[in-house]
Formats: sequence, C-alpha cells, structure tokens
Amino acid sequence: MNDLLLAERIEKSFGPTRVLRGITLSVGREEVVGLFGPNGAGKTMLANVLSGLIPPDRGRILFEGKDITRLSMDARFRAGLARTFQIPGAYPTLTVVESIRVALLCGEEGKRRSPRELEEEVESVLHRTGLFAQRFWMAAKLSQGCLRRLEFARAISCRPKLILLDEVFSALSAKDEGELTALLRSLRRDDGISFLLISHNPLILAEMCDRVVTIEDGRVTWEGKPADLAKYLPVAAGHDHGP
Amino acid sequence: MIFSPRRTTGALALGAGLLLLLPLAGLDLFLLDVLASGFLLAAYVGSWDIVGGVAGQICLGHALFFGTATYSCALLTSLAGWPFAAAAAAALLLSTTAAAVVGTFSGRLKGPFIALLTLALGELAHEVALGQTFFSPRGAYSWGGEGGIPVALPWGSPSPWASYYGALLFLFLSTWGMTRIARSKDGLIWTAISGSELTARASGVDVARHKRRAFLVAGLLAGAAGVGFAAHVGRATAADFSLELSFQAATFAAIGGRGTIVGPVLAALLLHALFQGAGIAPAARVLLYALALLLVLRFFPAGVAGTLRERVRERNMVPEGASR
Repeated sequence: MNDLLLAERIEKSFGPTRVLRGITLSVGREEVVGLFGPNGAGKTMLANVLSGLIPPDRGRILFEGKDITRLSMDARFRAGLARTFQIPGAYPTLTVVESIRVALLCGEEGKRRSPRELEEEVESVLHRTGLFAQRFWMAAKLSQGCLRRLEFARAISCRPKLILLDEVFSALSAKDEGELTALLRSLRRDDGISFLLISHNPLILAEMCDRVVTIEDGRVTWEGKPADLAKYLPVAAGHDHGP
Repeated sequence: MIFSPRRTTGALALGAGLLLLLPLAGLDLFLLDVLASGFLLAAYVGSWDIVGGVAGQICLGHALFFGTATYSCALLTSLAGWPFAAAAAAALLLSTTAAAVVGTFSGRLKGPFIALLTLALGELAHEVALGQTFFSPRGAYSWGGEGGIPVALPWGSPSPWASYYGALLFLFLSTWGMTRIARSKDGLIWTAISGSELTARASGVDVARHKRRAFLVAGLLAGAAGVGFAAHVGRATAADFSLELSFQAATFAAIGGRGTIVGPVLAALLLHALFQGAGIAPAARVLLYALALLLVLRFFPAGVAGTLRERVRERNMVPEGASR
C-alpha cells in the first residue's frame, strides 16, 4: 500500500443531518490532492475528521498504514499530519517567534533538540515562510497574508508528511496568493510534503494539484486529473462554485 | 525592555531590599502583621495568575487550594497531634491533590464552564467548612465554622518579626519561581492555550494535560501560601475557603495585569497594605477593590503591568520589510 493517508467510508451525522456519507479518499506520498465542492458539501467537515478535530461516526483513517481514527488532533500533528484552518487561528498575546516555538516544542522533533538547535529551526521556519521581518510582531497585529504564513509556519514545524490546507488562498491579495503558492511548491519539492488542498477555486486546483476529488452532499462525485475538472464543472452547474 | 528577566529580578531584589529594611524604620506591630499577611496574600494571588493569567483558565474557586492547606494544618496538628512540619507536608500534598482533581475535570471544559466548575467546588468546600464542627481532643469545646480551628505550632505564638521576615522570604522565592515558570517552555505553552485552544491543539499541544499541570502548579503554590498563613495566623477558619478570597485573587490579577505574575503580586500587596493598613472595614474594602479595578481598567485595559508589557511589545515590533 503506497497511500500516505487513506480514509475509508467516512460517515458523520449531526442528528438527522448526514454531513459525510461514506467518503473514501486517499493521498499518496508527495502528492497534492485537491478537494473541490460547493458550499455545504462537507469539505471542511472532512478536513475536521481527517485532522482529528471531530471523530467520525463510521469508517477508519489510516496514516502511513496505521489506524489513527481515534487519535486526537495534537497526536496526529506529532505523527506528521498537520492542518491549517479556513479562518487562521493565532495566539493574540504571543509574537510570531513564540507562536512557532510552541509548535516546534510540541512536535516529536522538538523534544530531541537542544535549545540552540530549536532556535535555529525557528529561524529557518521564519525565513522559509517569509515572516522573519515580522518575527517580533504580536499575532493580533498581523495582516491576513501574514496570518496565513503563520499557519503554514505552524504546520511545517512538526516536519509533517501531510498538510491539510483548508481554503488557504481565500481572502488573500494576488501578491500574497502568489507567494503562498511558491511556498507550497517549495515545501513539496524540497521536503516531499503531501497536501490535501481544499479550495473553491478551480484555477488554483488545476495549477497546483496532481489529482482532484469533488464532493457534493457528503459524497465523492468525481475524481480525476485537474485538467479534466473543467469537464466536471458544467455537471455541477447550479451550485455555488464561486471563489 | 521593562520585562527582561534581569530587570524584573533586579526590581524584585530592590523591592525586597526595601521591605527588608522597613521594620527597622520603627513600624508598629499592627502594620508588621498587615504586611506579613499581605506577603502571603500576594503569593496566593501570584499562584492564581499561573492558572488564571498565564494559562487563561479562570478559576473562581482558587481559595479551595488555600483553604485545604490551612484546614489540613489545623486538623492534623490540633486534632491528630501531628508535628507542624509533617502537617505542612501533608497540607501541600492535599492542596495539590485537590488541584489535580479540579484540573482533571477542567481539562475537557472551556472558558465559563471552568469558571462555573471552580466556583461551585470552592463554594461547596466553603459551605462544608462553615457547617462542619469538630470537638477538641479534650471534648471541652467545638472547633470549626467561622470560629475556626487552632493550628498547634511548635513555637507557640509566632513572633511578629519572624512572621514578617518568613513571609517576605516566601513571597520573594515564590514570585521568583512563578516568573521562571511563566517564562519556561510550559509557561509558553500555557499562554498559547490561553490564546487559542484550537490552534494549540493543531500545534501538537495536549491541552488537557497542560491545563491539569497548570492547576497542579497553582494549587501547590496556593497551598504553600495557605501553610504560611496557618503558621502566621495560628488558626484556620471557613473564610480561608471563601468566595471573597477567590474573587480577590481574580480582582488583584486583573488590576495588576493577568499573566504577568509580578503585576498581580504587587497589586495584591499594595492594595492590601493600603486598605487594611488604613484600618478600613472589610465590606468597604471590597467596594474599594472594585473601584480600583474600574479605574485601572479605564486607563490600563490589560491591567497595569499587562498594558505596559503590550506597549513594550508594540515598540519592539519591526516595521514590515525592515530587519533588526
């Protein structure tokens, strides 16, 4: 089995509302998979289940062949499965440096590092994510673009094998979007990180992904190459696919 | 930087030096007693700031840990006949155990639910202490309730000077320890949890374990302040568990600046010494504390030290694109 992440027949309901209806999804090593679908399709819920924020009602999740279905979100992060949020969450009273330090300290690697090695790693993450100039800024004072970078910085601190990116390009300027795209590419190229990229934007998915999975009403409706996504889109006409 | 470790330690050392010399200036015994109580109260407020300020878990029943320690000292020495040192060790163990229990329950809760849980547990302990009476070993009279239980001290009635210097030493050491904890790896993680539990979890933080640890440390320190108070006053009363004592900690911390340790400690010490030293009645003191809180929050929204720290941090922010 070559899948890095394999989610099988994931189901999740809230009372009578079935949000996920037996979704099966896989992400290979060094693969970028796009997750596309209209509002309310269950994309973010699937990310919540995969990252351990919400347990599924049924189904199982394998990460590197190990069953992580009942593992907590923090344990999944330490195991190398990181995520970012649609609305970036930051620690308002901590600076950028301190926020990154928290993630580094809690990762498996952080426990083995000396304080000096830890600070070198913090500096490296700051440079890679373009946050060095803002390193002493309080997170509460950061722009949306910098908050997204900080999310990336936090996510890559555990040297992850897979990052779930939930609408990471939403509400960004063209400049920030371009820089984040370049960062994502470099993380994939240099670190071999896989991504599950959740987005409303078919152009970004077509540009970034090796494979795209579309979901609607909690079910997988289509899976194929990004170039073929345009063929799928007319089928889904009538749904809101706007950016 | 105002809050650099060296400066904070230096300021604390200077303050401690002044307080060391103060009794030599001819302070009367009443003021010595007020200050000794103030030192212990300030250490207790600092312990609240570990869990309520640094870790952001609003604990409204913090007196539970303080009262557990004073009551344990009293019951074990006067009723069970234990030596004070053994009773003090057991008191620390019991207050830490109480904190572990509260911390375990709080691990899965958030914000107002933690405040409600700790409020309920603290008030439960207060009501039990208020209603429970014990017969003295000779059976001559009952102890407990508002009248309290005496603490059998090996040195009989403590000397005001010894109490003053003992409490001062304890305050200095505990404040130094608490600032070290707040700046440690655990302190950083607790501050992160205080800012956003969700982001902390997504950064690999085992939130429940760290909350429990913050409660443990705070409970141990509050218990230590309780042992000191039992040794100073020589009596444990139901007021040691009171809601007022719990609310005082939160109020002083808000005035001083939550999460700064030094701010809440100094706020507690100054306000207690000022109002109690002036002989103001307890009910009027509560009103004055509330007034002080309103005034401070008007000009220092994050408390005095908290707002100053924010200003220093803002000054240290480098303009975008510039390098340091």
